[in-house]
Amino acid sequence: MAAASRGGGGGPKALELLRALPRVSLVNLRPNPGAKKSERRRGRGRHGGKKSGRGHKGQRQRGNRPRLGFEGGQTPFYLIIPKYGYNEGHSHRRQYHPLSLQKLQYLIDLGRVDPTQPIDLTQLTNARGVTIQPLKRDYGVQLVEKGADNFSAKVNIEVQMASELAIAAIEKNGGVITTGFYDPRSLEILCKPIPFFLRGQPIPKRMLPPEDLVRYYTDAKNRGYLANPSNIPEARLELAKKYGYVLPDISKDELFQMLSTRKDPRQIFFGLAPGWVVNMSEKKILKPTDERLLRYYSS
Amino acid sequence: AYAPVLRGCHLAIPSHRTAVQAWVESLRHYDDRHVGLADLHPDVFAVMPRVDILHTVAVWQRNYKRISYAKVKTRAEVRGGGKKPWAQKGSGRARHGSIRSPLWRGGGIIHGPRGPTSYYYMLPMKVRVLGLKVALTAKLMQDNLHVVDGLDMPTFDPQYLADLAQYRRWGQSVLIVDVNKMPENITKAAASLKTITLVPALGLNVYSLLKYETLVLTLDTLAFLEEKLLWHDSRYTALYPFHLPYSDFP
Repeated sequence: MAAASRGGGGGPKALELLRALPRVSLVNLRPNPGAKKSERRRGRGRHGGKKSGRGHKGQRQRGNRPRLGFEGGQTPFYLIIPKYGYNEGHSHRRQYHPLSLQKLQYLIDLGRVDPTQPIDLTQLTNARGVTIQPLKRDYGVQLVEKGADNFSAKVNIEVQMASELAIAAIEKNGGVITTGFYDPRSLEILCKPIPFFLRGQPIPKRMLPPEDLVRYYTDAKNRGYLANPSNIPEARLELAKKYGYVLPDISKDELFQMLSTRKDPRQIFFGLAPGWVVNMSEKKILKPTDERLLRYYSS
Repeated sequence: AYAPVLRGCHLAIPSHRTAVQAWVESLRHYDDRHVGLADLHPDVFAVMPRVDILHTVAVWQRNYKRISYAKVKTRAEVRGGGKKPWAQKGSGRARHGSIRSPLWRGGGIIHGPRGPTSYYYMLPMKVRVLGLKVALTAKLMQDNLHVVDGLDMPTFDPQYLADLAQYRRWGQSVLIVDVNKMPENITKAAASLKTITLVPALGLNVYSLLKYETLVLTLDTLAFLEEKLLWHDSRYTALYPFHLPYSDFP
């Protein structure tokens, strides 16, 4: 109305104007001028009528044009160019959503992510820092170096892939980083735990990585979760020497216990083990008692 | 007499804005117009008066429920018309293939309404919330909003309620909203009145707010509305539908 068409004035002036205008009711409503542009209908009037945008005679007007890509007989572009597998197997390629250290620092500063608790993909999703779509071949999150210079947060973080500089940046500030693999089903459960608990199914065990990733996750340089824990301090020293910083001693830290919590290779959530059923409505956890089930879930 | 009812705003108001105020009235006596003063949150009751949003939301409310059942028969569905009426050449008349072509009287319709069509669409949640806020602002700014401390009435006489509305110059039609269960007196009084309607707080919508000339809210409804409408201003985006439980917010 008048308030919308004036443009200037700001909030309080608009409200003062509203007090003087007639009562806003169902008969006074109209959209902003220019919001509703009526469509151009064929066969009605000067601009949509006469030949109705079809041209003059020939295949164009009579609707008999050849298929898209036809070039009158010359071998068309889409046949003359040879095939090459640029996108071949794209739907089988693993994708990792990038998470920059700058974004992580931003989330911690705003209080959306709690650095005093181990940071997991669930925490990052709850803070809406990353949005993971397991159905689009996302296999998790990768830590990226952008913002490494200003990163100053001591965190226990678990991602799926991390570059060397990112690992160095986190360990320089006294944090702990691990890389872990989640198969698509566990990833979906990890990102959206509550819809999974409402399904009433027992928590499955996390599957081990495929052959090409086993090498990555058994390497201490990548802080893989399947690597030998005794190799990791050496790898930390190596990185400190390479990038030239003093490696802080985390065992003397007050949060040492929290920083050293790591997940079991078959575990999806921190407090819950595979095989348990979580009842959301009655707030109870049910654990299996059958011997075969216990053997299966603890293997 | 009694101490004045002073209602402060329970939710935090941004520092650059101040609360808007409204008189608290009472239904117990026909002239109880200044029982107290209520502070209303500016981000609900003093937002920018976006009349175009009111239009969008009102139109949505009218149309999203609409299913038009109109359906006409095409030339394939009209009974008959499989045989060529007369030979192509020789009869001297125009050439035709079937007696139910759209050119013929009684023939099929070409581009008519086809089957039940649904006009369902959803506006974003925040647009609908903003529509409610703008409607409440408009009511307050145009002196059509009245706050009542409770819906307790001395009698169940409908004439009392009508006279009260007329004496206090509320308007031709009144919408009374409450969160809790409404007392018997007012339900009986409003049941026989056509222009005064009672509505639970969950049934508040932009179309009704615009249709009725005056709006009467209770203090509990104020708190309820402010809480529900302000939550959308600072919430995370939904990971999964809101009707499933969330741990960090309601």
